[in-house]
Amino acid sequence: MAGNFIYSTRDHKFIIKEWLDVEKILGLKKFRDYYSKEDVDGILDQALTVCREMVAPSNDDGDIIGAKFNGGRVALPPSFHKAYQYVQANGWGSGHKDIDGEGILPGLLYGAVHEYMIAANPAFVAYVGLAGGIAGIIKAFGTREQVDLFTPKMFEGTWGGTMCLTEPGGGSDVGDMLSKAYPTGEPGIYRIRGTKCFITAGDHDLTENIIHLVLARIEGAAPGTKGLSLFIVPKIWVNPDGSLGEANDVATVGIEDKMGLKGSATAVLSFGEENQCRGILLGSPPDENGFGQGMAQMFKMINGARVDTGHCALAVAAVAYHNALQYAKERVQGRRITEPKGQRVPIVEHEDVRRMLLTQKAVLEAGRAMVFKAYYYLDLIAFSEDPDEVKEASRRLEVITPLIKAYCSDQAWELIALAIQVYGGYGYTEEYPVARQARDSKIYSIWEGTNYIQSMDLVGRKWRLENGAVFKEWLEEIGFFLEKHKGHETLAREFAILAEAFAAYQGLVKLVVRYFMDDIRLVPLYSTRILKATAELYCGYLLLDQALAAEAKLNQGPEDEVFYRGKIHTAQFYLRNIVPEVIATAKLIQEADTSALEMPLEAF
Amino acid sequence: MNIVVLIKQTFDTEAKIQLTGDGKVNDQGVNLIMNPYDEFAVEEAIRIKEAKGGEVTIVSLGGDKAQEAVRQALAMGADKAVLVNDPALEGADHYVVAKVLAKVLEGMEYDLILTGWVAIDDQSSQVPGRLAEVLGLPQANVVTKLEVEDGKVVCHREGDGSVEVLEVPLPAVVTAQKGLNEPRYPSLKGIMQAKKKELKKVSLGDLGLPAEEAKAKVVGYQLPEARQAGKVVEGEPAETVSQLIEFLTKEAKVI
Repeated sequence: MAGNFIYSTRDHKFIIKEWLDVEKILGLKKFRDYYSKEDVDGILDQALTVCREMVAPSNDDGDIIGAKFNGGRVALPPSFHKAYQYVQANGWGSGHKDIDGEGILPGLLYGAVHEYMIAANPAFVAYVGLAGGIAGIIKAFGTREQVDLFTPKMFEGTWGGTMCLTEPGGGSDVGDMLSKAYPTGEPGIYRIRGTKCFITAGDHDLTENIIHLVLARIEGAAPGTKGLSLFIVPKIWVNPDGSLGEANDVATVGIEDKMGLKGSATAVLSFGEENQCRGILLGSPPDENGFGQGMAQMFKMINGARVDTGHCALAVAAVAYHNALQYAKERVQGRRITEPKGQRVPIVEHEDVRRMLLTQKAVLEAGRAMVFKAYYYLDLIAFSEDPDEVKEASRRLEVITPLIKAYCSDQAWELIALAIQVYGGYGYTEEYPVARQARDSKIYSIWEGTNYIQSMDLVGRKWRLENGAVFKEWLEEIGFFLEKHKGHETLAREFAILAEAFAAYQGLVKLVVRYFMDDIRLVPLYSTRILKATAELYCGYLLLDQALAAEAKLNQGPEDEVFYRGKIHTAQFYLRNIVPEVIATAKLIQEADTSALEMPLEAF
Repeated sequence: MNIVVLIKQTFDTEAKIQLTGDGKVNDQGVNLIMNPYDEFAVEEAIRIKEAKGGEVTIVSLGGDKAQEAVRQALAMGADKAVLVNDPALEGADHYVVAKVLAKVLEGMEYDLILTGWVAIDDQSSQVPGRLAEVLGLPQANVVTKLEVEDGKVVCHREGDGSVEVLEVPLPAVVTAQKGLNEPRYPSLKGIMQAKKKELKKVSLGDLGLPAEEAKAKVVGYQLPEARQAGKVVEGEPAETVSQLIEFLTKEAKVI
């Protein structure tokens, strides 16, 4: 009952076919013989059907039965097995992460498929995503033999994958991790010892084997993150001929009892309890300074995972929105404020419910605009043959990755709170899906680098890349947009607000750069708010750009008029109600308030 | 074994039917699907082909949008398709549709014709029977299990607490009922392969048919009347009981 999957493909079709330059992506050598713009609708519609019919039925089992730990093993509900087999066998699964795979979908399209799958069951999708994602890392850094031995079975979903980073004593502070690797007589093979925790999909029975990527320090390597290396550690050893050998001394200590995503097994793994755990080094051993390649390799995955985390948050919040909308249209309560003696009306007729619904729609579409911009850039980075294009896409992606991760995941929690509010008391019960969506979504602001870490990545790192050149180019894109549409008539008010926010934001950046020198403590005090303002500015620009595309469509004819009018109203709402927060934040930061630091600890 | 499957594109089962100003069914913004009973027929044909070889050909009548349903059948695994697309067929009745389909089939080699037992939009179940009649073929209706044997098919029809088993010589027309199978969803590979499969669009002229007058014409459509609010009888029990009896006897006329 609770997992009511309601979704729509319309915004994705708009983004892909009517807003972003899909012809450029589908014209890349990798895709041009396979896909054309006419295929988009068919693929998206079928993907949504498959997610609704084959994946969504596992959502209730995930939440109610969950992953079960028994006798050192993790079992998932039968419906997860059915969905997993189906998705992998029918071309919707892990194989799309294989950049050499024949007929893979561009990220721009697979992003939509992925969103439907997340929305159908967010606990399920990690098993599919990790198998392909980890194989992608092995492909990027492994030897020919390693790639051939491990990746085909991972891309087809026969083996799973995990990323083992966090330890009980080292979460956000990766450099303090204790896992160790000791050389053996065999070249490239190390004995691994250590405990890893919070490992998503760390153990399960969907696949016959799981290939862990474990971050550990080779004996004698440098301290801190620089000394870390990455190891391929199969749960079951894989013989050179590809057959499965002995268990590889990887023990599952337990799985977490979590607030949400209960179908996703979050495991504590112990490597080498019997001193028999073997790992295969990925890339080269530490250099003469004791510096390994592990962190850099891991970051290839982490950057993608950050975009993905934002997308997951967005998809879960979107299901909550669609459900709240349906409920608001059906639930009859109260009368119009202008007709106190009139008929009782569905709550969707009430002003405050309208505000809550449009807030959800606007922020969701803003987030989706950012996420699909990222997929667009990722396609160019992976497949464009024009080095300038690749360079520009990489530079843009650097800036927007933390925005996507943190803004989408922070907002998801707030948007789902609004969805619950629309339901009233029923939203607080498990009879309707929104309570589950609140529980499922909270983790996204935490994992893959907390949202504070994202904000410091933005302010401390991305602002300063190449002495600020990368960020300046990104900011100029908004400046050019404003310049280009100066004097626009129908959306004059919105352009004026964006221009004001743009000016205020530039002032904010100058001020914060000064804080770095005057009192650096102000930077972490304000960084999460700076990130939010940055995202709001960017989203305001993207939604206004979408409104222009919708306006152009309306000028062509009456087809789908309601949708395009909706896009314009959505942009107007976002610009008028949310973008002014950028101006307010810029003002607030001028206060340079340090009360949180001056307050004696005892007074808290 | 060559199989022809007749399919029709219909409104989504969840679509809300609305009328236009001039009293026609409004198809703006309505999600269109393959008639669900035809999906069982497509699935069965593909399964027979997978087991015994041969070719599955989809035949449909409809406008440009009907291509989507045809492509879906191709994506599921059918081999090729013919879509009769002609503005003169606007307003065609079952008589005309059956004649046109018979003409399409005239030039084809087939052992079996499969289709859904009913279309969910007009629910008239007319076309398969009429087509069988025009072609002079035997027909088995509302089939929930189908076995292909040498030169014949064995069809199971579910009755009230019973199963009727028919043996029908081939070629024959067989209509599918829910329960016959569980239709597959097209795989991504299937969707992409479907693009390259032959989808022949033909007009009445191509078939050498004149635009034929329908024998039945739709005069108009009406939506069911909206449900009226119920009546609440208020007052003392003795009074309200007699009022209620009066309502039931005189107004509702149920007792």
